[in-house]
Amino acid sequence: MKVTIHIWDLPLRLFHWLLAAAVVAAYITGKLGGNLIDWHGRIGALILGLLVFRIIWGFIGTTHARFINFFPTFSRLAAYLKGGWQGVGHNPLGALAVFALLADLAVLVSTGLFAGDDIAFEGPLFNLVDKALSDKLSGWHNLAFDLLAGLIAVHLAAIGFYRWVKKTNLVVPMVTGKKQVPKAVATSLTGGGALRFFTTVIISGAVVWGIWGGLEIIKPVESAPATVAKPSF
Amino acid sequence: MKSKLALAIILATAATTAVSGPVEEQIRFRQSAYSFLGWNTGKIKKQVVDHPETFNKDYVAAAANAIAAVANSGLGELYGPGTDQGTGWKTTRLKPEFFQKKEEVTAAANTFNEAANDLARVAATGDINAIKTQFGKVGESCKGCHNLARIKE
Ligand code: HEC
Ligand code: HEM
Repeated sequence: MKVTIHIWDLPLRLFHWLLAAAVVAAYITGKLGGNLIDWHGRIGALILGLLVFRIIWGFIGTTHARFINFFPTFSRLAAYLKGGWQGVGHNPLGALAVFALLADLAVLVSTGLFAGDDIAFEGPLFNLVDKALSDKLSGWHNLAFDLLAGLIAVHLAAIGFYRWVKKTNLVVPMVTGKKQVPKAVATSLTGGGALRFFTTVIISGAVVWGIWGGLEIIKPVESAPATVAKPSF
Repeated sequence: MKSKLALAIILATAATTAVSGPVEEQIRFRQSAYSFLGWNTGKIKKQVVDHPETFNKDYVAAAANAIAAVANSGLGELYGPGTDQGTGWKTTRLKPEFFQKKEEVTAAANTFNEAANDLARVAATGDINAIKTQFGKVGESCKGCHNLARIKE
């Protein structure tokens, strides 16, 4: 006997699809360069905001969005692999993928902040490190992206596997927020709420604003004040 | 026999040295040329893209001319055999595949050269929007060659 429950809240679904679109856009702008590279920075800022949002929402969001409710502990993983896991949110293996995706995204965004393309684009914190370190971090930024591409491939393959082998559609619930589950394990989401949502959005926005120049301490130092005359050749 | 071979090697080395300098010197000049390009693209970016209110036609045209001059200086000479290994100002980041992908790299380099010369022409007009568009094309051409020929750290 199956019942329909509310599984993914609206902020979480918005987060998911915005992130997916932004990652594709960041990839294209990062690879092509030219005048699009400034959009790479703007999209990167959006992704940083989304990531901060998701981390906070993982603590104060609704039931199935909370990290503690799907953290892949050894006992949960073991139970899942033996076929004894029961639940409705991310299964323990899927949860592993979620944490890997979020962790790699964090590496990608944080290295990007210090990266530079040696042409005409730098992350907002480029001036905080020396050039050799920035070059290293730019390299890691590339590696972190390659890893992300791999993780996304696994993510999509798993969704395909569920769709065609296990006959479970995971995409529709991420759009509508509703899922059909066995009655025995059905727990609709609770928690969240407008106040927590807006607080989370404000904190995420503040982090992005601070990093992109809002905080005086991390503003780049001008090479010389405009009043100091330089030689005229 | 052995000494003849050694002599041949010494002569061959001397010959390449005479044309384009020893390996490390080629790498050093190459890195200098590209650093200088980076300085000039940075200047244009600042006045044309980031702070158009500070746009100064002569300043930007000078930077564009410098880029074109470097493009027209025959940088290919600094990519002699063996220059994928060695240290100029720092360890070279030239990919060893450079020497297998000669045609692709030549195409990328020519794209850059044309874009740079067009930028110098457009910069002379002082039309900031046209400069911005052409500057984007130059940036793409730098990136295109880096994706192809430059090691990611
Ligand atoms: C023909 C290919 C090619 C083109 C075109 C090209 N680059 Fe490069 N660039 C390289 C290679 C190869 C290196 C690594 C050189 C080395 O380490 O030996 C490099 C290195 C650099 C460096 C680092 C220099 C250093 O050692 O500190 C900068 C900065 C740079 N390029 C900027 C630019 C800019 C700006 C443009 C366009 C205006 C450009 N490059 C166009 C191939 C290219
Ligand atoms: C999830 C978000 C991001 C993705 C998917 C992403 C992806 C990429 C990709 C694919 C490249 C091209 C690498 C190449 O040429 O091979 C790139 C380059 C770059 N990205 Fe990002 N990026 C992201 C976030 C950011 C952020 C937040 C910043 C900081 C503003 C940033 C700064 C840079 C810089 C400076 C480069 C040039 C590095 C180089 O050419 O070596 N990125 N990024």
